[in-house]
Amino acid sequence: MAEEFEPKIVAFLCKWCSSAGSDLAGVSRMQYPPNVVPITVMCSGSVSPLYILSAFNKGADGVLVSGCHPGDCHYIKGNYYARRRIALVKELMEYIGLEPDRFQMSWVSAAEGIKYTKIIKDFVNILKPLGPQTNLRRSQ
Amino acid sequence: MVNLDDLKKEALNLLKDEKVKYIIGYTEGSNGTSAAPAFIKNPEDTDKLVWNPGCFHNLTRFLRDEKKRKAREKHPDERPVGIVVKGCDSRAINVLLQEKYIKRDDVFILGVSCESTGVIDEKKVAKKLKGKKAQKIEWDTNRNLVVTTEDGTTKIPADEVLAERCVECPVHSPVVYDIFFGDKIKRTTDAQFKSVEKIENLSQKEKWDFWKKQFDKCIRCYACRSVCPMCYCDECVVDTISFAVTADTTAEEKAQRIKWIEKSPTPSETFIYHIIRAIHLAGRCIDCGECERVCPLDIPIRFLNKKLEKEAKSLFDYEVGFDPDQLSLVSSFKDEDPEDFIR
Ligand code: SF4
Ligand code: SF4
Ligand code: FES
Repeated sequence: MAEEFEPKIVAFLCKWCSSAGSDLAGVSRMQYPPNVVPITVMCSGSVSPLYILSAFNKGADGVLVSGCHPGDCHYIKGNYYARRRIALVKELMEYIGLEPDRFQMSWVSAAEGIKYTKIIKDFVNILKPLGPQTNLRRSQ
Repeated sequence: MVNLDDLKKEALNLLKDEKVKYIIGYTEGSNGTSAAPAFIKNPEDTDKLVWNPGCFHNLTRFLRDEKKRKAREKHPDERPVGIVVKGCDSRAINVLLQEKYIKRDDVFILGVSCESTGVIDEKKVAKKLKGKKAQKIEWDTNRNLVVTTEDGTTKIPADEVLAERCVECPVHSPVVYDIFFGDKIKRTTDAQFKSVEKIENLSQKEKWDFWKKQFDKCIRCYACRSVCPMCYCDECVVDTISFAVTADTTAEEKAQRIKWIEKSPTPSETFIYHIIRAIHLAGRCIDCGECERVCPLDIPIRFLNKKLEKEAKSLFDYEVGFDPDQLSLVSSFKDEDPEDFIR
């Protein structure tokens, strides 16, 4: 039997909320798929579109950007900037014919371990039927 | 009508009175359709200025060179540079002002109205002429292009030869200027994003196939970047060598530098180049269409910028190049910005 496809997700998590949220999920021993490679960034506002594309380029099947809820950003406004910028990236990706579902954004607070696990579970379920992402992957 | 003699006279006076350093304008090109950029220093050369349907270049791009040159000079000449701009070009000036790349008194703006037409797409004209060489082109008062060839003159309706961006242009006359030439005609367009909609209506697979076919042609010559007035960064993320190498930079360090994008024009890298180029111009591109015009492979790059222009307008109510004092698209936000895509 062929092995089931296991998508690789790169998650850019802001240090102050989402990363802490994922830690909470971990220390509370919540179960969720091991498909994520978390990368802690200082703020969702510090995620350049190039990080996202680069993740796809280096082999990600899905990319998640997650930050504090609006109003909660440690740097006050970072997630508002991120929201705008990422809306544009999403529109452009769709326009170019990339599967828009491969790219997600979420607000996860430090207390939302459960939400974090749910987001990852859902994302994995969305990505599985899509198969490997090859469009932006650098050919070896 | 734009009176060329007025333009020449003003230019002459500016140079004679030493009010400007030099004037960037248009002069006769060598192939009959295209004008050519001209840098005029001597008052007597102002006679060489032209204004015609072949003045499609966005001359504000040369303000980049001017700024760099000035930075190198010990005692720079602080007088402004005179520059001839169309509606679209004037919006580029507003963006450069907004980004504090230039100061308002660095430029003396000679704004020229496009009135009821605009500039031509050379390729469209060439097709119409079927190999014949134009000697002269001009607009008549009924929106026709009058082309003179060795066989006499022909008239072509403007809508058949106008550059795509002129058809979709929302301004038609300069929005910032020191002297204005021609008539301020209120002309609206209901087709501002028509070209974008054509692609939007494709299925996801068709979109990918369309862009794949286009980007496969790209040779990564970066002409699109070189020509853009807004691509003024000294270091560009797509250049892998863009970091300072000092005497004590080790080979190790050089090897470890992040390479965001490979230089080779393979599909993945070229896609990323074009996505990033478009994103970096979001809220800054004023749709002068120069990037697309200079592309040697005829890749419709303008469609990418135009898409983001459209989204900026519809999602964030943001229009580029009208107000030099507004905050830039990506360094501002509103509480009510859409977030239905966020989980
Ligand atoms: S799109 Fe055209 S102008 Fe730009 S790098 Fe590619 S080939 Fe050159
Ligand atoms: S991206 Fe192209 S159309 Fe936009 S300002 Fe630059 S050269 Fe002009
Ligand atoms: S610190 Fe979490 S989004 Fe800015």
